[in-house]
Amino acid sequence: MLESFFYPQIRFSSVMYSTQELELFPDRTVTQLLFKDVKNAAELRKNAMEGKINGALINPSMIVSPFQVLVAANKAVHLHSTGKMKTRSLYSEIIYNLSPTNNISEAFKRFGMSDSDSAVLIVLVHLKEETQHMTDIIAKVDGQQIPIEDVSMLTDTAKVKKLYKTTPQEDTCLLDAVVCRMATKDVM
Amino acid sequence: MAVEGTSVALPQFLKKIELIKQGAEARVYRGSFLGKPTIVKERFPKLYRHPLLDEKLTHRRTVQEVRSILRCRKAGISAPVVYFVDYTSHCIFLEDIVGSITVRDHIASTQLSSAQKSPEEHLDQLAQKMGQILAKMHDEDVVHGDLTTSNMLLKAGAESGETELVLIDFGLSYISALPEDKGVDMYVLEKAFLSTHPNTEALFEKLLKAYAASSKKSHAVIKKLDEVRLRGRKRSMVG
Repeated sequence: MLESFFYPQIRFSSVMYSTQELELFPDRTVTQLLFKDVKNAAELRKNAMEGKINGALINPSMIVSPFQVLVAANKAVHLHSTGKMKTRSLYSEIIYNLSPTNNISEAFKRFGMSDSDSAVLIVLVHLKEETQHMTDIIAKVDGQQIPIEDVSMLTDTAKVKKLYKTTPQEDTCLLDAVVCRMATKDVM
Repeated sequence: MAVEGTSVALPQFLKKIELIKQGAEARVYRGSFLGKPTIVKERFPKLYRHPLLDEKLTHRRTVQEVRSILRCRKAGISAPVVYFVDYTSHCIFLEDIVGSITVRDHIASTQLSSAQKSPEEHLDQLAQKMGQILAKMHDEDVVHGDLTTSNMLLKAGAESGETELVLIDFGLSYISALPEDKGVDMYVLEKAFLSTHPNTEALFEKLLKAYAASSKKSHAVIKKLDEVRLRGRKRSMVG
């Protein structure tokens, strides 16, 4: 009885968030957290702008897979380290990198969280050992944390296709089509 | 701290992963990137060229390569997914087509194995597919620049179980609508095809037939191909 009571919780927490080491920057780790039924979107956004939340707040309906976010985060850390960012901070650069166009305000509007949103994907770039930061952020969100893989259930596929201008021939794998456009947007 | 404009992380990363090929133009590595099996193509600096010219040429070729890949993929032609491009060290991170073999190896082993019931018929189908895909690529005005049977991969399709033809190495590719450029593209393939695979004249003929049948614009290209065969890849500058 007791065991079955505790066991699911332990298993649950292990799949709640995703962490991935950036192979190009071995001391950096990317953590993604996903929340639904968020009631304090406006407050979170304000916190992020004031620098109280050190992370990128992303609109999960534009995300097909956590890999899409990793591609954006890796590119942001790379451009940060070479001094070639297009925006002011690492976290705004992640949001900008998700967009298929070079319009910064458009990128924030489409891919950043807005005050009326009830779901948010939070991306953190940190040192491997540094996890306190993550706990602090989880505490700030008034919402329910769900496994990061569930982001695919929140995806607005029609909107993603329209925004990235994917072709019907690419329908076999939307993620591939999206990632290709993100990776090559600066020379298109 | 990193020097402005250059990446220190990349050379360090390349040292750690496996070098699988070194060509005149680039080095090719295999490793894991963001958790996925990845091919990294690094265009290294050519010291025999003036540094400024070298930088310009290398940058342009890197850009052309990713542009051609995207153009092909948009048209539904299989080519590796581009994961990441670094324009400071001229590295392209591409999807590793896992579990694939080159068309070159496939043709060679099919020719060898007399055990197979009808190797001819099997290869005919492949030649047809190659012709169709190349016609589609040329319809998109992508000129590959280095068509060989080593630059085409075969992999088992995701759902259908049907084998899929994947075009790779767009390093010398460019965008052009000229039948001349497409004709030369096919001529390069013909030369490479017939010299790598002995006694395949009839097979290549099938490829060309499929190419001609699947595109409206192919007539002009085949006409150019006949011209190019007579004079060679380079245009005569005499007279």
